[in-house]
Amino acid sequence: MSVILENPWLLGAVAGFVVINAMMVTAAWSIWFERKFAGAMQNRPGPTQVGWAGLLQPVADLLKLIQKEDIVPTNADRALFNLAPPLGMILVLAGLAVFPWAPGWVPADLDIGLLFILSISSLITIPVWMAGWASNNKYALLGGMRAAAQAVSFEVPLLLSALVPIILGGSLRLGDIVAAQADGRWFALWPPGPGSVAFVLFMLASLAEANRIPFDIPEAESELVAGITTEYVGMKFGLIYLAEYLHTAVSSLLGATLFLGGWDGPGPDGIHWLLLKSFALFAGIFWVRWTLLRYRADQFMALCWRVFVPVSLACVAVAAVWRVYA
Amino acid sequence: MIGLLQAFSALRITGLNLFRAKNTEPLPWDGGRVRPERYRTSFALVHNSDGDEACIGCKMCEKICPSQIITVVPGGRAPSPNTGKPRGTAKDFTLDVNACIHCELCVQVCPEDAIVMLRVPEVPGFSREELFLSMEKLYANEKVPASWGTGALLIGMQAEGQPKPPPPPAKAAPPPATTAGVPEATPPAPAAGGGETP
Repeated sequence: MSVILENPWLLGAVAGFVVINAMMVTAAWSIWFERKFAGAMQNRPGPTQVGWAGLLQPVADLLKLIQKEDIVPTNADRALFNLAPPLGMILVLAGLAVFPWAPGWVPADLDIGLLFILSISSLITIPVWMAGWASNNKYALLGGMRAAAQAVSFEVPLLLSALVPIILGGSLRLGDIVAAQADGRWFALWPPGPGSVAFVLFMLASLAEANRIPFDIPEAESELVAGITTEYVGMKFGLIYLAEYLHTAVSSLLGATLFLGGWDGPGPDGIHWLLLKSFALFAGIFWVRWTLLRYRADQFMALCWRVFVPVSLACVAVAAVWRVYA
Repeated sequence: MIGLLQAFSALRITGLNLFRAKNTEPLPWDGGRVRPERYRTSFALVHNSDGDEACIGCKMCEKICPSQIITVVPGGRAPSPNTGKPRGTAKDFTLDVNACIHCELCVQVCPEDAIVMLRVPEVPGFSREELFLSMEKLYANEKVPASWGTGALLIGMQAEGQPKPPPPPAKAAPPPATTAGVPEATPPAPAAGGGETP
């Protein structure tokens, strides 16, 4: 045990193995959870046939996807087409490296952990655009372009709203930000005002980053067939799909860490609080996704530049004033 | 701002739905629901009260079937093993449900109520042969609950729907109830055959 703890390489490998596997399993079963949740919202039972209450549905889906023929369109850019899904997956998983799961439980305790996560998650636009471009399909191309436009726009309010916990916590290290929220002084609640608004903006911008409804204009089934995933079949489609869920999960983890105090909570602190809070955010994202309609692309951009950016700038200003004078 | 309020009201509704009962009916193999009396899908051949195969091989269903999917091979008259009386038999009876339009005419035309339709959800098959009903399959289906409007029952239903016969004339003493009204109830026979006379 001490050998592992003393050697940073071994520690990283073990922690990475555990975290990545746990998150992959969580993402697979979050698909089951979403289908059950969506069913409950629409007064129907959701999957019930595979396993007890449909719990083995992700396994059945996986088997189906693996069995499918691997088709690459004739004029597609083969290398980019095949590279995009795993690259997206890797980039989503890389963001998990710096999360403080519990006091002292950090796979890689970077000084600039938050910056690392935000830059890694903004890189996810590249595989999405790669997938759109390499498919050699007009719908995929439109989807990829929309994804790029969306990511460039929503990066701004995302970063600005993430600035609020940085200013209030006084550090870019996620562990320090969580420590600054100790004893229930969560940034979403205290100081009143900038933190709660920034929290809402951050979660909405994360929805846009993860291409979830109401901001899933890169996929937009009713307009673009399936957007960037139009030409993907089998496990490559499965990887893109799973990466989207993982991205949502990472966004909820980040929201819980930055604004809801991470591992802090009544009673003993620990990983259970972080998991509980991020699960609540995750379920909230599904709630929004199965209730609201998709924004039109231009409404969506207008919402970003006319509402989100000014409001998040105001949040940053108020947080800065509070930090200096209070 | 109004849009935001609407979004919240939509979220409230979907949130409440989480705790409401499900509207979906269970799948057939999970119980399903009770089908209406006249729900009808597949077919069965039945035995009559004497224990004989009710089909007498008259081929009326074969002739009336709009899709022409019924094939009856008459077996000729033979003494019944149960009662000893001679009666018609069918050597073979096949029905191709693949092309059935579920019009129920075969059931209505059958003089012996030998063919009935089933009151259970249709089970899809993996090949055409599975939906092709041989005589063995049709008699095996006899155990499945049958649809209500079969044969003589259907005739009874149609008689029930007809307007009531007029009351008997008051001048005569009321005849016994068993015979009363029956002759009056039958409509007067039309002057058929009038055209045939030269």
